[in-house]
Amino acid sequence: MRAQFVLQEIWIGLRRNLTMTISLVITVAIAMALFGTGLLIRGQVNESKDYWYDKIEVSVFLCAKTSSNPACGKKDATQQQKDEIKAELTKMPQVSKVEYENRDQAWARFKDRFASNPAFVNSTRAGDIPDSYRIRLKNPQEYKAVVQALLGKGGVDQVINEQEILKKFFKILNGLQWAALLIALFQVVAAVLLVGNTVRLSAFNRRRETGIMRLVGASNTYIQMPFILEGAIAGLIGGIFAAILLIFSKTLLLDRLAKQMSFATQLDWMQVIMVIIVSICFGVLLCAVASFLTLRRYLRI
Amino acid sequence: MIHFDNVTKVYKTQNRPALAHVNVAIEKGEFLFLVGPSGSGKSTFLRLVLKEERPSQGHVHVAGKDLSRISNWKVPHLRRRIGCVFQDFRLLPNKNVFENVAFALEVIGKPRRFINKVVPEVVDLVGLEGKQHRMPHELSGGEQQRVAIARAFVNRPMILLADEPTGNIDPATSIGIMKVLDRINRTGTTVVMATHDAAIVDAFRKRVVELEDGRVVRDQSRGVYGQAY
Repeated sequence: MRAQFVLQEIWIGLRRNLTMTISLVITVAIAMALFGTGLLIRGQVNESKDYWYDKIEVSVFLCAKTSSNPACGKKDATQQQKDEIKAELTKMPQVSKVEYENRDQAWARFKDRFASNPAFVNSTRAGDIPDSYRIRLKNPQEYKAVVQALLGKGGVDQVINEQEILKKFFKILNGLQWAALLIALFQVVAAVLLVGNTVRLSAFNRRRETGIMRLVGASNTYIQMPFILEGAIAGLIGGIFAAILLIFSKTLLLDRLAKQMSFATQLDWMQVIMVIIVSICFGVLLCAVASFLTLRRYLRI
Repeated sequence: MIHFDNVTKVYKTQNRPALAHVNVAIEKGEFLFLVGPSGSGKSTFLRLVLKEERPSQGHVHVAGKDLSRISNWKVPHLRRRIGCVFQDFRLLPNKNVFENVAFALEVIGKPRRFINKVVPEVVDLVGLEGKQHRMPHELSGGEQQRVAIARAFVNRPMILLADEPTGNIDPATSIGIMKVLDRINRTGTTVVMATHDAAIVDAFRKRVVELEDGRVVRDQSRGVYGQAY
Protein backbone atom coordinates (compact mmCIF):
# COMPACT_ATOMS: atom_id res chain seq x y z
CA MET A 1 0.00 0.00 0.00
CA ARG A 2 1.49 3.31 -1.05
CA ALA A 3 0.89 5.86 1.67
CA GLN A 4 1.51 8.92 -0.46
CA PHE A 5 -0.97 7.78 -3.10
CA VAL A 6 -3.66 6.93 -0.56
CA LEU A 7 -3.20 10.26 1.25
CA GLN A 8 -3.48 12.13 -2.02
CA GLU A 9 -6.73 10.33 -2.83
CA ILE A 10 -8.11 11.15 0.61
CA TRP A 11 -7.18 14.79 0.25
CA ILE A 12 -8.92 14.96 -3.12
CA GLY A 13 -11.97 13.24 -1.67
CA LEU A 14 -12.22 15.54 1.33
CA ARG A 15 -11.75 18.65 -0.78
CA ARG A 16 -14.31 17.62 -3.36
CA ASN A 17 -17.14 17.59 -0.88
CA LEU A 18 -15.79 20.15 1.51
CA THR A 19 -19.14 21.41 2.80
CA MET A 20 -20.22 17.88 3.63
CA THR A 21 -16.94 17.29 5.43
CA ILE A 22 -17.32 20.48 7.44
CA SER A 23 -20.81 19.60 8.57
CA LEU A 24 -19.60 16.14 9.48
CA VAL A 25 -16.73 17.56 11.51
CA ILE A 26 -19.06 19.90 13.38
CA THR A 27 -21.58 17.18 14.13
CA VAL A 28 -18.92 14.79 15.34
CA ALA A 29 -17.34 17.53 17.46
CA ILE A 30 -20.61 18.29 19.21
CA ALA A 31 -21.52 14.64 19.61
CA MET A 32 -18.16 13.76 21.11
CA ALA A 33 -18.06 16.85 23.31
CA LEU A 34 -21.42 15.96 24.81
CA PHE A 35 -20.48 12.33 25.14
CA GLY A 36 -17.26 13.34 26.87
CA THR A 37 -19.08 15.80 29.11
CA GLY A 38 -21.36 12.97 30.18
CA LEU A 39 -18.31 10.91 31.06
CA LEU A 40 -16.71 13.83 32.89
CA ILE A 41 -19.82 14.37 35.01
CA ARG A 42 -19.89 10.70 35.82
CA GLY A 43 -16.25 10.94 36.86
CA GLN A 44 -17.03 13.98 38.99
CA VAL A 45 -19.88 12.16 40.70
CA ASN A 46 -17.76 9.11 41.43
CA GLU A 47 -14.87 11.14 42.71
CA SER A 48 -17.10 13.28 44.92
CA LYS A 49 -18.81 10.19 46.25
CA ASP A 50 -15.50 8.58 47.15
CA TYR A 51 -14.36 11.77 48.79
CA TRP A 52 -17.51 12.45 50.75
CA TYR A 53 -18.46 8.95 51.73
CA ASP A 54 -15.19 8.90 53.62
CA LYS A 55 -16.19 11.94 55.62
CA ILE A 56 -19.91 11.50 55.78
CA GLU A 57 -21.46 11.50 59.24
CA VAL A 58 -24.75 11.04 60.92
CA SER A 59 -25.19 13.77 63.53
CA VAL A 60 -27.37 13.19 66.57
CA PHE A 61 -28.22 16.53 68.11
CA LEU A 62 -29.14 16.32 71.76
CA CYS A 63 -31.89 18.23 73.45
CA ALA A 64 -31.12 21.74 74.62
CA LYS A 65 -33.15 24.46 76.28
CA THR A 66 -33.46 26.23 72.96
CA SER A 67 -34.58 23.24 70.86
CA SER A 68 -38.07 23.41 69.38
CA ASN A 69 -38.73 19.68 69.54
CA PRO A 70 -41.59 19.17 72.06
CA ALA A 71 -40.14 15.80 73.12
CA CYS A 72 -37.24 17.68 74.68
CA GLY A 73 -39.52 19.78 76.87
CA LYS A 74 -37.14 22.79 76.83
CA LYS A 75 -34.62 20.91 78.90
CA ASP A 76 -31.06 19.88 78.27
CA ALA A 77 -30.45 16.19 77.84
CA THR A 78 -29.41 14.61 81.11
CA GLN A 79 -26.11 12.84 81.58
CA GLN A 80 -28.02 9.57 81.98
CA GLN A 81 -29.71 10.04 78.59
CA LYS A 82 -26.38 10.83 77.01
CA ASP A 83 -24.86 7.68 78.41
CA GLU A 84 -27.77 5.58 77.19
CA ILE A 85 -27.46 6.95 73.67
CA LYS A 86 -23.75 6.40 73.71
CA ALA A 87 -24.19 2.80 74.89
CA GLU A 88 -26.85 2.18 72.22
CA LEU A 89 -24.61 3.55 69.49
CA THR A 90 -21.53 1.59 70.41
CA LYS A 91 -23.61 -1.58 70.39
CA MET A 92 -24.78 -1.09 66.79
CA PRO A 93 -22.84 -3.17 64.26
CA GLN A 94 -23.11 -0.50 61.51
CA VAL A 95 -21.32 2.13 63.54
CA SER A 96 -17.58 2.40 63.29
CA LYS A 97 -16.89 5.45 65.44
CA VAL A 98 -18.79 7.69 67.81
CA GLU A 99 -17.57 11.08 68.92
CA TYR A 100 -19.09 13.44 71.41
CA GLU A 101 -18.95 17.09 70.49
CA ASN A 102 -19.92 19.73 73.01
CA ARG A 103 -21.25 23.20 72.24
CA ASP A 104 -17.88 24.94 72.29
CA GLN A 105 -16.26 22.44 69.97
CA ALA A 106 -19.26 22.61 67.63
CA TRP A 107 -19.12 26.40 67.56
CA ALA A 108 -15.39 26.37 66.80
CA ARG A 109 -15.91 23.94 63.99
CA PHE A 110 -18.79 25.95 62.60
CA LYS A 111 -16.76 29.16 62.58
CA ASP A 112 -13.91 27.38 60.88
CA ARG A 113 -16.08 25.84 58.19
CA PHE A 114 -17.90 29.01 57.26
CA ALA A 115 -14.94 31.34 57.74
CA SER A 116 -15.48 32.61 54.21
CA ASN A 117 -19.00 33.75 55.08
CA PRO A 118 -18.68 36.17 58.05
CA ALA A 119 -22.30 37.38 57.85
CA PHE A 120 -23.50 33.86 58.43
CA VAL A 121 -21.09 33.37 61.35
CA ASN A 122 -22.06 36.70 62.94
CA SER A 123 -25.73 35.86 62.95
CA THR A 124 -25.04 32.78 65.00
CA ARG A 125 -24.04 32.69 68.63
CA ALA A 126 -22.03 30.21 70.63
CA GLY A 127 -24.44 27.73 72.14
CA ASP A 128 -26.87 27.79 69.20
CA ILE A 129 -25.50 24.51 68.13
CA PRO A 130 -26.38 21.88 70.70
CA ASP A 131 -24.23 19.03 71.96
CA SER A 132 -24.13 16.15 69.54
CA TYR A 133 -22.83 12.72 68.78
CA ARG A 134 -21.01 12.47 65.47
CA ILE A 135 -21.31 8.99 64.10
CA ARG A 136 -19.12 7.54 61.40
CA LEU A 137 -20.74 4.55 59.67
CA LYS A 138 -18.94 1.52 58.35
CA ASN A 139 -20.98 1.72 55.16
CA PRO A 140 -22.61 5.11 54.52
CA GLN A 141 -25.47 3.40 52.65
CA GLU A 142 -26.68 1.68 55.83
CA TYR A 143 -27.77 4.81 57.63
CA LYS A 144 -31.46 3.96 57.82
CA ALA A 145 -31.33 1.47 60.71
CA VAL A 146 -29.21 3.84 62.76
CA VAL A 147 -31.51 6.78 62.17
CA GLN A 148 -34.56 4.67 62.97
CA ALA A 149 -33.10 3.43 66.25
CA LEU A 150 -32.23 6.93 67.44
CA LEU A 151 -35.38 8.82 66.54
CA GLY A 152 -37.69 9.22 69.50
CA LYS A 153 -35.12 8.25 72.09
CA GLY A 154 -35.05 10.32 75.21
CA GLY A 155 -32.76 13.31 74.92
CA VAL A 156 -32.51 13.17 71.12
CA ASP A 157 -33.55 16.34 69.35
CA GLN A 158 -32.68 15.72 65.70
CA VAL A 159 -30.87 13.13 63.62
CA ILE A 160 -29.30 14.57 60.52
CA ASN A 161 -27.89 12.41 57.84
CA GLU A 162 -25.41 14.36 55.72
CA GLN A 163 -25.93 11.97 52.90
CA GLU A 164 -29.32 13.50 52.20
CA ILE A 165 -27.64 16.79 51.41
CA LEU A 166 -25.10 15.18 49.12
CA LYS A 167 -27.82 13.31 47.32
CA LYS A 168 -29.29 16.54 46.00
CA PHE A 169 -25.98 17.50 44.49
CA PHE A 170 -25.53 14.10 42.92
CA LYS A 171 -29.04 14.23 41.56
CA ILE A 172 -28.29 17.44 39.69
CA LEU A 173 -25.08 16.01 38.32
CA ASN A 174 -26.78 12.78 37.32
CA GLY A 175 -29.48 14.71 35.51
CA LEU A 176 -26.84 16.69 33.65
CA GLN A 177 -24.98 13.54 32.79
CA TRP A 178 -28.00 11.84 31.27
CA ALA A 179 -29.05 14.98 29.42
CA ALA A 180 -25.59 15.24 27.88
CA LEU A 181 -25.53 11.57 26.94
CA LEU A 182 -29.02 11.74 25.46
CA ILE A 183 -28.22 14.71 23.24
CA ALA A 184 -24.95 13.01 22.35
CA LEU A 185 -26.91 9.98 21.24
CA PHE A 186 -29.01 12.08 18.86
CA GLN A 187 -25.88 13.72 17.55
CA VAL A 188 -24.29 10.33 17.01
CA VAL A 189 -27.29 9.27 14.95
CA ALA A 190 -26.98 12.48 12.92
CA ALA A 191 -23.26 11.87 12.49
CA VAL A 192 -23.81 8.33 11.24
CA LEU A 193 -26.36 9.53 8.69
CA LEU A 194 -24.04 12.31 7.60
CA VAL A 195 -21.19 9.87 7.16
CA GLY A 196 -23.51 7.78 5.02
CA ASN A 197 -24.34 10.75 2.81
CA THR A 198 -20.74 11.88 2.60
CA VAL A 199 -19.61 8.45 1.56
CA ARG A 200 -22.39 8.21 -1.00
CA LEU A 201 -21.39 11.52 -2.54
CA SER A 202 -17.77 10.60 -2.39
CA ALA A 203 -18.39 7.23 -4.02
CA PHE A 204 -20.40 8.94 -6.72
CA ASN A 205 -17.70 11.56 -7.29
CA ARG A 206 -15.07 8.91 -7.57
CA ARG A 207 -16.98 6.28 -9.52
CA ARG A 208 -14.58 6.59 -12.47
CA GLU A 209 -11.56 6.00 -10.26
CA THR A 210 -13.09 3.12 -8.37
CA GLY A 211 -14.34 1.58 -11.62
CA ILE A 212 -10.82 1.62 -13.02
CA MET A 213 -9.36 0.37 -9.78
CA ARG A 214 -11.68 -2.59 -9.89
CA LEU A 215 -10.81 -3.23 -13.48
CA VAL A 216 -7.05 -3.26 -13.04
CA GLY A 217 -7.33 -5.52 -10.02
CA ALA A 218 -6.87 -3.25 -7.03
CA SER A 219 -7.72 -5.17 -3.87
CA ASN A 220 -10.93 -4.38 -2.06
CA THR A 221 -9.09 -2.88 0.87
CA TYR A 222 -7.23 -0.58 -1.48
CA ILE A 223 -10.47 0.58 -3.06
CA GLN A 224 -12.25 1.06 0.26
CA MET A 225 -9.37 2.46 2.26
CA PRO A 226 -9.56 6.07 1.01
CA PHE A 227 -13.27 6.24 1.85
CA ILE A 228 -12.86 4.77 5.30
CA LEU A 229 -9.85 6.97 6.04
CA GLU A 230 -11.78 9.97 4.78
CA GLY A 231 -14.43 9.23 7.39
CA ALA A 232 -11.83 8.53 10.03
CA ILE A 233 -9.99 11.79 9.37
CA ALA A 234 -13.22 13.78 9.55
CA GLY A 235 -13.89 11.95 12.83
CA LEU A 236 -10.42 12.77 14.08
CA ILE A 237 -10.75 16.49 13.31
CA GLY A 238 -14.16 16.45 14.96
CA GLY A 239 -12.62 14.69 17.94
CA ILE A 240 -9.91 17.32 18.28
CA PHE A 241 -12.53 20.07 18.32
CA ALA A 242 -14.43 18.01 20.87
CA ALA A 243 -11.28 17.87 23.02
CA ILE A 244 -11.16 21.67 23.06
CA LEU A 245 -14.84 21.83 23.98
CA LEU A 246 -14.26 19.29 26.74
CA ILE A 247 -11.50 21.37 28.28
CA PHE A 248 -13.96 24.26 28.31
CA SER A 249 -16.67 22.14 29.83
CA LYS A 250 -14.30 21.03 32.59
CA THR A 251 -13.12 24.53 33.48
CA LEU A 252 -16.35 26.43 32.84
CA LEU A 253 -18.99 23.92 33.89
CA LEU A 254 -17.74 21.33 36.33
CA ASP A 255 -15.17 23.35 38.25
CA ARG A 256 -17.58 26.23 38.67
CA LEU A 257 -20.37 23.97 39.74
CA ALA A 258 -18.14 22.22 42.24
CA LYS A 259 -16.99 25.57 43.61
CA GLN A 260 -20.48 26.95 43.91
CA MET A 261 -21.73 23.89 45.74
CA SER A 262 -18.68 24.23 48.01
CA PHE A 263 -17.59 20.72 47.22
CA ALA A 264 -13.90 20.35 47.63
CA THR A 265 -13.15 17.83 44.90
CA GLN A 266 -12.18 18.94 41.44
CA LEU A 267 -11.84 16.44 38.68
CA ASP A 268 -8.15 15.94 38.05
CA TRP A 269 -6.73 16.51 34.59
CA MET A 270 -5.59 12.92 34.17
CA GLN A 271 -9.21 11.90 34.06
CA VAL A 272 -10.05 14.68 31.60
CA ILE A 273 -7.27 13.47 29.31
CA MET A 274 -8.58 9.92 29.54
CA VAL A 275 -12.06 11.11 28.58
CA ILE A 276 -10.63 13.11 25.68
CA ILE A 277 -8.76 10.07 24.39
CA VAL A 278 -11.85 7.92 24.70
CA SER A 279 -14.03 10.44 22.84
CA ILE A 280 -11.52 10.92 20.04
CA CYS A 281 -11.17 7.17 19.57
CA PHE A 282 -14.93 6.78 19.66
CA GLY A 283 -15.40 9.54 17.09
CA VAL A 284 -12.82 8.07 14.71
CA LEU A 285 -14.20 4.58 15.11
CA LEU A 286 -17.77 5.74 14.67
CA CYS A 287 -16.99 7.47 11.37
CA ALA A 288 -14.79 4.68 10.06
CA VAL A 289 -17.33 1.97 10.81
CA ALA A 290 -20.19 4.04 9.42
CA SER A 291 -18.25 4.64 6.18
CA PHE A 292 -17.39 0.98 5.92
CA LEU A 293 -21.00 -0.05 6.31
CA THR A 294 -22.37 2.48 3.82
CA LEU A 295 -19.59 1.66 1.35
CA ARG A 296 -20.94 -1.83 1.01
CA ARG A 297 -24.13 -0.31 -0.34
CA TYR A 298 -22.75 2.29 -2.66
CA LEU A 299 -19.48 0.88 -3.90
CA ARG A 300 -19.38 -2.19 -6.04
CA ILE A 301 -16.26 -4.13 -5.47
CA MET B 1 -5.76 -19.54 -21.94
CA ILE B 2 -9.56 -19.00 -21.95
CA HIS B 3 -11.88 -22.00 -22.02
CA PHE B 4 -15.66 -21.79 -22.10
CA ASP B 5 -17.05 -25.16 -21.22
CA ASN B 6 -20.74 -25.37 -22.16
CA VAL B 7 -21.42 -21.96 -20.61
CA THR B 8 -24.96 -20.61 -20.27
CA LYS B 9 -25.72 -17.25 -18.72
CA VAL B 10 -29.25 -16.16 -17.92
CA TYR B 11 -29.69 -12.75 -16.32
CA LYS B 12 -32.19 -12.65 -13.50
CA THR B 13 -34.54 -10.19 -15.16
CA GLN B 14 -34.63 -11.98 -18.48
CA ASN B 15 -35.91 -15.31 -19.68
CA ARG B 16 -33.81 -15.53 -22.82
CA PRO B 17 -30.23 -16.57 -22.08
CA ALA B 18 -27.51 -14.02 -22.88
CA LEU B 19 -25.22 -16.93 -23.68
CA ALA B 20 -26.37 -20.49 -24.39
CA HIS B 21 -24.12 -23.57 -24.34
CA VAL B 22 -21.03 -21.74 -25.48
CA ASN B 23 -17.91 -23.82 -26.04
CA VAL B 24 -14.87 -21.81 -27.01
CA ALA B 25 -11.20 -22.49 -26.42
CA ILE B 26 -8.76 -19.64 -26.88
CA GLU B 27 -5.08 -20.55 -26.75
CA LYS B 28 -2.19 -18.53 -25.43
CA GLY B 29 -1.04 -15.84 -27.82
CA GLU B 30 -4.12 -15.99 -30.03
CA PHE B 31 -5.88 -12.95 -31.50
CA LEU B 32 -9.61 -13.42 -31.63
CA PHE B 33 -12.44 -11.26 -32.95
CA LEU B 34 -15.77 -11.67 -31.23
CA VAL B 35 -18.43 -10.48 -33.63
CA GLY B 36 -22.20 -10.37 -33.75
CA PRO B 37 -25.05 -7.87 -33.51
CA SER B 38 -25.81 -5.89 -30.35
CA GLY B 39 -27.30 -8.08 -27.67
CA SER B 40 -25.74 -11.23 -29.07
CA GLY B 41 -23.74 -11.81 -25.90
CA LYS B 42 -20.31 -10.36 -26.70
CA SER B 43 -20.14 -8.20 -23.58
CA THR B 44 -21.46 -11.01 -21.41
CA PHE B 45 -18.66 -13.17 -22.78
CA LEU B 46 -16.04 -10.62 -21.71
CA ARG B 47 -17.67 -10.05 -18.31
CA LEU B 48 -17.58 -13.77 -17.63
CA VAL B 49 -13.84 -13.85 -18.30
CA LEU B 50 -13.36 -11.05 -15.73
CA LYS B 51 -15.63 -12.82 -13.26
CA GLU B 52 -17.85 -9.75 -13.21
CA GLU B 53 -20.64 -12.25 -13.78
CA ARG B 54 -20.81 -15.90 -12.98
CA PRO B 55 -22.21 -18.45 -15.42
CA SER B 56 -25.64 -19.94 -14.73
CA GLN B 57 -24.32 -23.23 -16.08
CA GLY B 58 -20.99 -24.57 -17.23
CA HIS B 59 -17.48 -23.46 -16.36
CA VAL B 60 -15.14 -20.72 -17.43
CA HIS B 61 -11.42 -21.44 -17.16
CA VAL B 62 -8.89 -18.65 -17.35
CA ALA B 63 -5.16 -19.43 -17.30
CA GLY B 64 -5.94 -22.99 -16.28
CA LYS B 65 -8.10 -22.00 -13.33
CA ASP B 66 -11.79 -22.66 -12.95
CA LEU B 67 -13.26 -19.24 -12.12
CA SER B 68 -16.04 -20.75 -10.01
CA ARG B 69 -13.31 -22.03 -7.69
CA ILE B 70 -11.63 -18.65 -7.25
CA SER B 71 -12.80 -17.02 -4.04
CA ASN B 72 -14.07 -13.47 -4.21
CA TRP B 73 -11.11 -11.93 -2.48
CA LYS B 74 -8.79 -13.42 -5.09
CA VAL B 75 -10.72 -11.93 -8.00
CA PRO B 76 -8.54 -8.77 -7.96
CA HIS B 77 -5.51 -10.97 -8.56
CA LEU B 78 -7.26 -12.53 -11.56
CA ARG B 79 -8.01 -9.06 -12.93
CA ARG B 80 -4.38 -8.00 -12.60
CA ARG B 81 -3.56 -10.57 -15.26
CA ILE B 82 -6.26 -9.32 -17.61
CA GLY B 83 -6.16 -5.91 -19.29
CA CYS B 84 -9.35 -4.17 -20.43
CA VAL B 85 -10.07 -1.57 -23.07
CA PHE B 86 -13.47 -0.05 -23.77
CA GLN B 87 -15.25 1.96 -26.41
CA ASP B 88 -15.43 5.00 -24.11
CA PHE B 89 -11.73 4.98 -23.07
CA ARG B 90 -12.51 5.53 -19.35
CA LEU B 91 -9.58 7.83 -18.67
CA LEU B 92 -9.40 10.04 -15.59
CA PRO B 93 -9.92 13.59 -16.88
CA ASN B 94 -7.91 15.25 -14.12
CA LYS B 95 -4.79 13.17 -14.64
CA ASN B 96 -2.32 13.46 -17.51
CA VAL B 97 -1.22 10.60 -19.75
CA PHE B 98 1.56 9.44 -17.48
CA GLU B 99 -0.62 9.61 -14.37
CA ASN B 100 -3.48 7.77 -16.05
CA VAL B 101 -1.22 4.89 -16.96
CA ALA B 102 0.61 5.00 -13.64
CA PHE B 103 -2.73 4.84 -11.79
CA ALA B 104 -3.17 1.20 -12.79
CA LEU B 105 0.12 0.34 -11.10
CA GLU B 106 -0.29 2.63 -8.11
CA VAL B 107 -3.55 1.05 -7.05
CA ILE B 108 -2.02 -2.40 -7.00
CA GLY B 109 0.76 -1.09 -4.79
CA LYS B 110 3.73 -1.08 -7.19
CA PRO B 111 6.70 0.98 -6.03
CA ARG B 112 7.31 4.42 -7.48
CA ARG B 113 10.67 3.45 -8.99
CA PHE B 114 9.12 0.60 -10.93
CA ILE B 115 6.33 2.88 -12.17
CA ASN B 116 8.73 5.57 -13.33
CA LYS B 117 10.61 2.99 -15.34
CA VAL B 118 7.75 1.02 -16.86
CA VAL B 119 5.17 3.70 -17.70
CA PRO B 120 7.31 5.63 -20.25
CA GLU B 121 8.15 2.36 -22.00
CA VAL B 122 4.49 1.48 -22.45
CA VAL B 123 3.57 5.02 -23.47
CA ASP B 124 6.20 4.75 -26.20
CA LEU B 125 4.95 1.28 -27.18
CA VAL B 126 1.45 2.60 -27.92
CA GLY B 127 2.89 5.43 -29.98
CA LEU B 128 2.50 8.40 -27.67
CA GLU B 129 6.16 9.42 -27.40
CA GLY B 130 6.50 12.91 -25.98
CA LYS B 131 2.85 13.19 -24.96
CA GLN B 132 3.24 11.95 -21.41
CA HIS B 133 2.22 15.25 -19.87
CA ARG B 134 -0.83 15.95 -22.02
CA MET B 135 -4.24 15.91 -20.40
CA PRO B 136 -6.90 13.62 -21.93
CA HIS B 137 -8.93 16.53 -23.31
CA GLU B 138 -5.88 17.70 -25.26
CA LEU B 139 -5.72 14.39 -27.11
CA SER B 140 -7.67 13.06 -30.11
CA GLY B 141 -9.98 10.09 -29.70
CA GLY B 142 -7.42 7.74 -31.17
CA GLU B 143 -4.73 9.03 -28.84
CA GLN B 144 -7.03 8.66 -25.84
CA GLN B 145 -7.67 5.07 -26.78
CA ARG B 146 -3.91 4.51 -26.99
CA VAL B 147 -3.62 5.80 -23.43
CA ALA B 148 -6.34 3.37 -22.38
CA ILE B 149 -4.48 0.52 -24.09
CA ALA B 150 -1.25 1.56 -22.40
CA ARG B 151 -3.03 1.46 -19.04
CA ALA B 152 -4.47 -1.97 -19.78
CA PHE B 153 -1.10 -3.32 -20.86
CA VAL B 154 1.27 -1.64 -18.40
CA ASN B 155 1.06 -4.51 -15.92
CA ARG B 156 1.89 -6.97 -18.73
CA PRO B 157 -1.32 -9.00 -18.53
CA MET B 158 -1.64 -12.43 -20.12
CA ILE B 159 -4.91 -11.46 -21.70
CA LEU B 160 -6.17 -8.21 -23.20
CA LEU B 161 -9.93 -7.83 -23.55
CA ALA B 162 -11.12 -5.06 -25.86
CA ASP B 163 -14.80 -4.22 -26.02
CA GLU B 164 -15.32 -2.33 -29.29
CA PRO B 165 -12.11 -0.35 -28.93
CA THR B 166 -12.63 1.32 -32.31
CA GLY B 167 -16.31 2.08 -31.79
CA ASN B 168 -15.75 5.81 -31.22
CA ILE B 169 -12.93 6.28 -33.67
CA ASP B 170 -12.82 7.05 -37.39
CA PRO B 171 -11.67 4.25 -39.73
CA ALA B 172 -8.26 5.72 -40.54
CA THR B 173 -7.36 6.12 -36.87
CA SER B 174 -8.78 2.68 -36.13
CA ILE B 175 -6.06 1.10 -38.23
CA GLY B 176 -3.49 2.70 -35.94
CA ILE B 177 -5.24 1.32 -32.88
CA MET B 178 -5.34 -2.13 -34.43
CA LYS B 179 -1.61 -1.93 -35.09
CA VAL B 180 -1.05 -1.26 -31.42
CA LEU B 181 -3.22 -4.24 -30.44
CA ASP B 182 -1.36 -6.37 -32.96
CA ARG B 183 1.97 -5.25 -31.50
CA ILE B 184 0.73 -6.23 -28.04
CA ASN B 185 -0.45 -9.60 -29.39
CA ARG B 186 3.05 -10.20 -30.78
CA THR B 187 4.51 -9.92 -27.27
CA GLY B 188 2.60 -13.13 -26.49
CA THR B 189 -0.50 -11.56 -24.98
CA THR B 190 -3.79 -13.19 -25.85
CA VAL B 191 -6.14 -10.56 -27.32
CA VAL B 192 -9.93 -10.91 -27.45
CA MET B 193 -11.65 -8.07 -29.25
CA ALA B 194 -15.39 -7.67 -29.49
CA THR B 195 -16.27 -5.53 -32.48
CA HIS B 196 -18.83 -4.40 -35.02
CA ASP B 197 -16.20 -3.11 -37.38
CA ALA B 198 -16.43 -5.32 -40.47
CA ALA B 199 -13.64 -3.55 -42.31
CA ILE B 200 -11.16 -4.21 -39.54
CA VAL B 201 -12.09 -7.87 -39.14
CA ASP B 202 -11.82 -8.40 -42.86
CA ALA B 203 -8.51 -6.63 -43.10
CA PHE B 204 -6.83 -8.52 -40.28
CA ARG B 205 -7.84 -12.05 -41.09
CA LYS B 206 -7.63 -13.44 -37.59
CA ARG B 207 -9.77 -16.03 -35.87
CA VAL B 208 -13.45 -14.98 -35.73
CA VAL B 209 -16.10 -16.23 -33.33
CA GLU B 210 -19.58 -15.05 -34.23
CA LEU B 211 -22.35 -14.95 -31.68
CA GLU B 212 -26.03 -14.71 -32.43
CA ASP B 213 -28.66 -14.71 -29.69
CA GLY B 214 -26.10 -16.07 -27.28
CA ARG B 215 -25.02 -18.99 -29.46
CA VAL B 216 -21.78 -19.51 -31.29
CA VAL B 217 -22.82 -19.66 -34.93
CA ARG B 218 -19.34 -19.55 -36.44
CA ASP B 219 -15.78 -20.19 -35.25
CA GLN B 220 -13.37 -19.69 -38.07
CA SER B 221 -9.65 -19.15 -38.19
CA ARG B 222 -8.54 -16.35 -40.54
CA GLY B 223 -12.21 -15.39 -40.92
CA VAL B 224 -14.11 -12.35 -42.15
CA TYR B 225 -16.86 -10.33 -40.50
CA GLY B 226 -19.99 -11.88 -41.97
CA GLN B 227 -21.61 -13.83 -44.74
CA ALA B 228 -22.56 -10.62 -46.51
CA TYR B 229 -18.91 -10.17 -47.42
